[in-house]
Amino acid sequence: MNYFATLNPLNLLNAIPGCIAQGLIWGIMALGVYVTFRLLDFADLTVDGSFATGGAVTVMLTLAGFPVPVALLIAVAAGLAAGLVTGLLHTALGIPPILSGILTQIALYSINLHIMGMAANQAISVQKYKLLISLMHVSKAILTAGLLAVVLITVLYWYFGTEQGCSIRATGCNPAMSKANSININFTKVLALSISNGIIGLAGGLMAQYQGFADVNMGRGAIVIGLAAVIIGEVFGGVLLRKFPNFALRMVFVVFGGVIYYIVVGVVLWLKLNSNDLKLFTAIIVAISLAVPHLQAKSKSSFRRTAKLSEAALKAMCNKGGQ
Amino acid sequence: MKKFLVLILAATVALSLVACGNTSGEAAASTKSPQASNAASTSNADTVFNIGICQLVQHEALDAATKGFKDALSEKLGDKVVFDEQNAAGDSTTCSTICNQFVSNNYDLILGNATPALQAAVSSTNTIPVLGTSITDYATALDIDNWTGVTGYNVSGTSDLAPLDKQAEMIKELFPNAKNIGILYCSAEANSKYQVETIGKYLTEMGYTLTEYTFADTNDVTAVAQNACLNSDVIYIPTDNTAASCTEAINNVAESAGIPVVCGEEGACKGCGIATLSIRYYDIGYTTGEMAYEILVNGADVSTMEVQYASETTYKYMPDRAEKLGVKIPGNYTAIESK
Repeated sequence: MNYFATLNPLNLLNAIPGCIAQGLIWGIMALGVYVTFRLLDFADLTVDGSFATGGAVTVMLTLAGFPVPVALLIAVAAGLAAGLVTGLLHTALGIPPILSGILTQIALYSINLHIMGMAANQAISVQKYKLLISLMHVSKAILTAGLLAVVLITVLYWYFGTEQGCSIRATGCNPAMSKANSININFTKVLALSISNGIIGLAGGLMAQYQGFADVNMGRGAIVIGLAAVIIGEVFGGVLLRKFPNFALRMVFVVFGGVIYYIVVGVVLWLKLNSNDLKLFTAIIVAISLAVPHLQAKSKSSFRRTAKLSEAALKAMCNKGGQ
Repeated sequence: MKKFLVLILAATVALSLVACGNTSGEAAASTKSPQASNAASTSNADTVFNIGICQLVQHEALDAATKGFKDALSEKLGDKVVFDEQNAAGDSTTCSTICNQFVSNNYDLILGNATPALQAAVSSTNTIPVLGTSITDYATALDIDNWTGVTGYNVSGTSDLAPLDKQAEMIKELFPNAKNIGILYCSAEANSKYQVETIGKYLTEMGYTLTEYTFADTNDVTAVAQNACLNSDVIYIPTDNTAASCTEAINNVAESAGIPVVCGEEGACKGCGIATLSIRYYDIGYTTGEMAYEILVNGADVSTMEVQYASETTYKYMPDRAEKLGVKIPGNYTAIESK
């Protein structure tokens, strides 16, 4: 009883805006993951490195006196470069997808340290710099991140409708067929990886501003949160719309996925569960989200169910015939 | 889209209903047990202070600081203080989530234990008093120019900066004939870098040749330690969480190579060192707790509170390891008990 008395739902309600803001930033990152994981069908592990790169570049350039938007743009460029390296490792040198991502990710650890002047942690104070987004002003953070997400989704929707964008999607669907149709699949792969990591660099830059520091470890596990957001978003969208959503809506739901993920984290903390177990909860959430569509499909196509249905149909026919 | 809106609406209504139901129930409950009234800024007679503790990672030194903090406040306030202790499990972005939770609960004070925890707490509020502990250098951690000992805003706390000048003297005293000192630390830790730069100045002035050996994570430790042992007469390890968590590996390398290790704190020294001049994390945590009491009860202004340092330091050594390596330990050192 004592335990339940300490849980105040108002506290949860108050915490939710912060969760939404953080979720939106991870949702933007998840859009990057979505490009490689779903559109290109490439499990890209560069993410853990390029997320921190985005944060490091943004913070260091802001400290050096660049305006924040310019710093963010350069962070995007740094992310693009990271994706380019992964892409070249894979296409030019023939290294398998997962390995080439891991190689870049590991290399980025050292590079990020160099970017941050060999310091593992660089603080950026919201009092001193005009940051776009900060934990201190949550409602402004939600607005900014939300707006950025909308702009990004619009641009991505437009881009993946162009000939070049379509060729990326085609490469992801069927590389052999795309190649046969004279699409340069090596080029499209490198391009998609660059775009994806550019978006992730942007998210890293936003995250560093939001939390007030860049840390060389800040990207650790980012890929898991990104995948979680993509999958939760898809499942949520599927359940809500009762059909497979279209491309634009799917991207919206991916961002929602990030938000839902962080609301769940908020609830877990609110329930006073041990935050050391957060990673375990993450794994459980992703596993459930992955399992739901599979189990649903299985139950729809199960023999027992079909047998029951046909039995019922037969009975109904017999009854009619009898009358 | 309509369904989604309905869903959100339903959830909001349901939540607000629960909210109303529970607060009335809670008022009744709080008369019996003060600990139950988590959001109780309502009861005036005997105010219960709610304190959020965000700790970066589970670790002997940080745990000791948190314990010291809680002990100090519990001794003074008894059951009139409620702690919400959260651990980010080493994930720096989780600190933001935790601190956001604290701020939305409108706690009376937030403790950030270790640098990213403090940074997240500072980013999340400019009204609630924030105290830090286990921070080596506040100026770097909070991006403050012209450091004067106070932050000037809602932040203060304690530093875990080891007496580095005395540590350098200790190395000189124990190893007067050594030439090359290898400094072994984790490149992912902000505080280690700072310490290395500071103690490096003292050691170079003493005429030692220094080489830094950094590793990125626990996987690289053995290889880097081996390299350090090949090229150094003595190895120094600053206060470094990652090094402290893999002392067994370092010891395996150093002991078989016959190279003595001097550590910045006791935990690491117990695992792989022969001597240390160390502060006690429990003490700085305790001091932080006393600062919290001043703020909460006596209305002290955080922005003018000076950052405190550990007052007591102790020379300690590991008897069996010192004997094995034939290092003479002066009389003012106390032996570390190995469990």
